[in-house]
Amino acid sequence: MSARRPTASLDRGTAAVLVAIAILAPLIFNTYWIGTLLTQMLFLGIVAASLIFLSAYGGMVSLAQVALYGIAGFAIGNLTTNGNTKGLNLGWTPLAAIPVALAITIGLGLLFGALSSRSVGIYFLMITLTFSVIANLFFGQVTSLSGFGGISGIPAPGFIGNVDHHPDRLYYLALVLALLVYALLRYIARTPFGLTLQGIRDDPVRMSSLGYNVTLHRTLAFGFASFIAAIGGVLFAYWNGHIDPATIGLGATIDVLVVAVIGGLSRLEGAWLGALVFVLINNYAQRIGFVSDRFHTLIGVVFLVIVLLSPDGLMGLWGRLGDLRRRGERPGQAPTGGSERGSGELEPTV
Amino acid sequence: MRAVVLAGMLSVVVAGCGGSKDKSTSDTTAAAAPAAADTTAAAAPAATGGQPIQKAVAPRTGTGTPIKVGVLSDCQGAFGTFDNQDLAGVVAAFSQFAGAKPKNPNKPRDGWTGGAIGNHPLKLVGVGCSNDQADTAIKETRRLMEQLNADVMIGPLSGDESIAVANYAKQHPDKTFVDGAAGAQDTTLKVQAPNFFRFNGDGAQWNAGLGDLAVNKLHWKTAAVISDDYSFGWTSTAGFIADFCAAGGQVTKRIFPPLNTTDYSSFAQQIPDNVDGYFVAVGGAGLIPFLKAYEQAKGPIDGKKFIGNLFWGTPGQFEQLGPRVAGAYVGGAGTAGDLDTPAAQDYANNIIGKWFKKIPPAGDPASQAASTFTYGYYVNTWGLVKGLEAVKGDISGGQKKLQEALAKVTLPAPYGEITLDQNRQAVLDVFYQQLYMKDGKLAVKTIASIPKVDQTFGGLFNASTPAPGRNFPKCEKKALPWQGKEQAVKVVG
Repeated sequence: MSARRPTASLDRGTAAVLVAIAILAPLIFNTYWIGTLLTQMLFLGIVAASLIFLSAYGGMVSLAQVALYGIAGFAIGNLTTNGNTKGLNLGWTPLAAIPVALAITIGLGLLFGALSSRSVGIYFLMITLTFSVIANLFFGQVTSLSGFGGISGIPAPGFIGNVDHHPDRLYYLALVLALLVYALLRYIARTPFGLTLQGIRDDPVRMSSLGYNVTLHRTLAFGFASFIAAIGGVLFAYWNGHIDPATIGLGATIDVLVVAVIGGLSRLEGAWLGALVFVLINNYAQRIGFVSDRFHTLIGVVFLVIVLLSPDGLMGLWGRLGDLRRRGERPGQAPTGGSERGSGELEPTV
Repeated sequence: MRAVVLAGMLSVVVAGCGGSKDKSTSDTTAAAAPAAADTTAAAAPAATGGQPIQKAVAPRTGTGTPIKVGVLSDCQGAFGTFDNQDLAGVVAAFSQFAGAKPKNPNKPRDGWTGGAIGNHPLKLVGVGCSNDQADTAIKETRRLMEQLNADVMIGPLSGDESIAVANYAKQHPDKTFVDGAAGAQDTTLKVQAPNFFRFNGDGAQWNAGLGDLAVNKLHWKTAAVISDDYSFGWTSTAGFIADFCAAGGQVTKRIFPPLNTTDYSSFAQQIPDNVDGYFVAVGGAGLIPFLKAYEQAKGPIDGKKFIGNLFWGTPGQFEQLGPRVAGAYVGGAGTAGDLDTPAAQDYANNIIGKWFKKIPPAGDPASQAASTFTYGYYVNTWGLVKGLEAVKGDISGGQKKLQEALAKVTLPAPYGEITLDQNRQAVLDVFYQQLYMKDGKLAVKTIASIPKVDQTFGGLFNASTPAPGRNFPKCEKKALPWQGKEQAVKVVG
């Protein structure tokens, strides 16, 4: 599938302001916003970022990211719970469970990647969707690991404490991890691995003839993206305290795709912007009188409007507004950013 | 938890049977079996449901600190179509017992106006829209309790949702939760949140008495069970196994087709021939394919060899089930719309039927009164009102006084008295019913009630035993508190 290439990022001033607002958020917003909406936005953004990474740099639109995020969550649930819930109830300490959960997810991510990396376009999409469905049914049917009821009472590590009583702790953890994920993804894009991946995205035949192992690169990229998705899954497990197969159902899979598309499939920042829009609409639409229980329709309409107005999502819209502004300041000069770069251009950073 | 939907449908049908003025007792129809419902229940006086009629209180308003109420319903998913039934139960109870009034008698979801406990007005802050999935239920609970700052919440509807909400309740001891219509056993037996109260039964309780019926009236010595392979199927089946084995029966085979199976032929082949009968808890869209697969594998169905859980009475499936299952017995859901008692009929016609002109999408409100959803939300809301009345609407002090009062509430409910056990779980009368032919069509009639069914089945289920599953409970003969105490009931229609 030909994905749009990564394009220019937010300017540094805007980014600094947004980060400052995020850091000061607990002083600005109420507990519900911090504990529920913004924390959810952060971990949902991390999962969407893993999808955008694969799409923007590898040309792979994966529908398996939610399954991988769920696998990490189920691993945390099975390893750390100890008592009256489904699953293995192994009772490990939460911190000890994290590396194991990440390792399991990366291992499965590499397996998924190896199986799907020879496919492209719609076939890649279908194979990853199959992974997603298998994961959903697996946890539904294998009652020793979950069953339809799922795992409840997942404890968070001691330094986070009770998420309901100290929502700011998990929020800050999610914020730090989101920033680290963003920085890591940008860094990876500049490394020889990232540049090779972009080369494979643009012309896999040429890269292969140059001696690069295309399949291996795509598999490793998938494994790396599964690591990013797993971070989101661990945060989700702590945030929700509960995970069940519906968490990784088809609806959730589509939700993350919608988040990525709303934000913009070609820009990493779009992951968190899309997540914010999605979470807010999901939360507040029911309070609009005429919308009420038809809020899914509203989400669909917003999705359609954004995609029609800006195929690059909200970040694409932002880029075009920037172009217009610059054009206004420097009449006659061609725009330098935005989403309409030449098709042959290789952009190493986002 | 599709079972709950189907229970509701079953109850609606039963209620529909109650429309006729031609009253009879189940005893009197025995001679025409299997074309008509027979009775195997003891000919005891019809005591169940003999509760007082509940008169509506005068309209009330208050000027004190409002009591903020959130309601968690399912407006999406398998149970979304029953959204207005859920709200009808809530709004009717607040209207009948707390002086409120439906905002729109044609649409319960619009909530209520007025209503107060003491001088504290009852304010609806929001109706959560869940979809039978625990994940969504938690998100909606958070929205109601943390964003809209509800003090108390009524809901959720289905089993897995309720386990998650009870766990949430445990983390928020200064708020109070009453169930909606959810029937998972773990919600109260395992989670044991001190601030979560359930005035409806669980899936196992609803099948109490069916095993005793099979052993002592149908003379089954052995049985096989076939059940959907998920939590509600297990819970529902656990009720039958516990009851059947307690009465001396032996379950020789347990078959669990995955949920949403479409081809049951391989499972039908596994059904043993050398048993006296079958308990079937295959639900929803799976039931018809299962019966067809059984017929292909084993030949015609003998209704008397089958006992179904509440799935068997589903409208829309009746037509296809047809005469072949006439005579089969069916577990109820703690409701019996055809019960011929003043309280049961008054509840349908003068409470639900009075406060609403219409409950969408089905319409006629009285015939939906005995729906598991309407009734579940009704009794849970009524329980909450009684708790609030006991503390005069004072929810200060982390709601501790309210929670203590709620634990002591007794409801003179339409289908029998409801009390709470030490886990704040209902102890209630349940009913079993029978499929029979009426005017050439399959119908359902309530046969008997089982009084005072508690969640533990005389100690078989407790907090330290495994949750109902593929291998639990084991088959053990033991005394159950309600053995031999079933009562024949008088029904209308």
